[in-house]
Amino acid sequence: MRAAPYDPVRTLYRALLVFDVVAIVILAAGLAEFVYFEPPGQSTGLKATIVGIYQYDPATKTTSGPDRRTFARTQQFAAVVDWSSLPQNITVDARWYDTFGAVVGKVGPGSPVQLTDQTTIPVVHAGLKYNLPGQYIFVVDRLENGIPVEVLARRIVLVERS
Amino acid sequence: MSATSAVTAANPRPRGRPSRYGIAIAVAAIVLVVLVASAILDYVYLDTIPGRTSLYGLVAVALVALGTFIGVRALDRDPADRKRHFIRASVLLGLAALLWLLVIDVYVFTGSAGPWVAAICAAVCLPTTAFGLFVMRRLDRNEKEPWRLVLVAAAWGAIVATSMVIWAESLWGTIAERTLVPGPGLDASNAFSAGLLEELAKGAAVLLLFLVMRNEFDDVVDGIVYGAAVGLGFNFLESIAYMTNLYAIFSPEGVGGVAAGFQWYSRQVLGLFFGHATYTALIGAGIGIARQLPNRRQKVIAIASGFLIAIAAHFSWDAWLAFFPIESSALGLAEIHLRTLIMTGPFTAAVIALLMSGLQFEGKALAEQFRKEAAEGAGAILPSEVPILTSPWQRLTQRMHALSKGGLRAYLALARLQTAQLDLAMERWHRERQEIDMPLEAERELRQRVIELRRSVTF
Repeated sequence: MRAAPYDPVRTLYRALLVFDVVAIVILAAGLAEFVYFEPPGQSTGLKATIVGIYQYDPATKTTSGPDRRTFARTQQFAAVVDWSSLPQNITVDARWYDTFGAVVGKVGPGSPVQLTDQTTIPVVHAGLKYNLPGQYIFVVDRLENGIPVEVLARRIVLVERS
Repeated sequence: MSATSAVTAANPRPRGRPSRYGIAIAVAAIVLVVLVASAILDYVYLDTIPGRTSLYGLVAVALVALGTFIGVRALDRDPADRKRHFIRASVLLGLAALLWLLVIDVYVFTGSAGPWVAAICAAVCLPTTAFGLFVMRRLDRNEKEPWRLVLVAAAWGAIVATSMVIWAESLWGTIAERTLVPGPGLDASNAFSAGLLEELAKGAAVLLLFLVMRNEFDDVVDGIVYGAAVGLGFNFLESIAYMTNLYAIFSPEGVGGVAAGFQWYSRQVLGLFFGHATYTALIGAGIGIARQLPNRRQKVIAIASGFLIAIAAHFSWDAWLAFFPIESSALGLAEIHLRTLIMTGPFTAAVIALLMSGLQFEGKALAEQFRKEAAEGAGAILPSEVPILTSPWQRLTQRMHALSKGGLRAYLALARLQTAQLDLAMERWHRERQEIDMPLEAERELRQRVIELRRSVTF
């Protein structure tokens, strides 16, 4: 019985299948990472209250004006949260994310009662004269074992380029 | 049955329409329908800048489709008509590229960065991208792919693929930002979005080339070249987009030029072959291997594997980039290079390994076909030419000799002869491996062409 002639294409095909295994491992690790940080079944139905997003004066640490969805890049702004609407047996924090996904403002973690005197959460860009333009996301998170697992409230604001 | 009808040929082009053309039309139709429908939906429901861009970009996409259609049809025309059709196709592709750049620049960035910044960014990305395309084409040392197809592949990557992903990624990102917890989970989601959508959009172009231009898509080497060309085209426009965007963001801080320059270096120098070129080359490798596999199941697995590996490679970069933080010191410069090498290097090494194996396999197969053709004594390939044709270096030496003896005309005539001889050997190889899906023009037509070209070699 004659052996089938050697075909290098089959070797290339097998190499591709080996790379496939690596690819599946990578994608599975990605999926595991996603599930770890976004665990299913974490919805408690709780809702935090974001009073609004206001212009902010860093000197006096006070907010002013109406609740807004857009700001100029020269304007400082902050979110105001009402922690009283949340139960005391949970751990929460509040964070600002800039357009690159960097945390640019944060209070917590702690129980809602521990955060009652930190209702104003400003955006702070260290080392920059102005805010970077783009979309900013403000979230109030519920934490489990130090990891945010549920968003209790969310606001998105736009910092305009001009 | 006549001798002519018994002979099947992969090159030149078929007279009929093989069944794979139906698949190609279906893929193109799906791409077009998805593109149009999604752009309109995106525009209506999101009304964001990318939404408007994708809608207005449809004109550019239509021009690319028309230009490509005319360009591909031109190959069927008589040589006298062919040039005219190629010029038409080139003009349409050029208009599409300009229009798309205009759309990107005017609607997305120039409001802040200005048209001059966009033009400068495009101007600095052009030489590096051209260099990338030149290198990739040169790597195919046994039988270089025609520039027209390499450029069409790059244009599709730059215009069609980017247009397809803008809407889809906007939609995915908008939904994710409103539903997921910001942080690593959202980052992973965005990485899946980029890996999946961008690789599917880029890979569609390689798949269409494989289906429509089978006679110019021989094996894994060609797949890698076309895939990398699509990736380089995509990287070209993405680089401009990031450069202008970051210039606009950081110019009020006085570091707009630095931010744009850093993007240029990381995408057009450091990441030129490591990023999109590598990812889409992996898709091309899968399709190229499928080209030579005997059964349909294996073909499908090979094509799916190429896509899967590319998606995983792209995903790993986008998702885990943050695990390699870069210090804002001189050490950071070394870290940037190391990060690229560690994260994308293994995938680029895989592409290089497949390319080298493919080149070696192709080279041996062509050498064997040169010898067989010479042994038949038909006059297309002479026994004395076999060692020259087998070696890319000796072919170049012979052409340079022709240049010194007979000038440019002699050089070009010899180049045409060598190309036709390589086509003949490639044709014989595919016929021997039974990789031809339908009877084509007679192989003797190719042989006759070689003999005619030989007469024009004067030195």
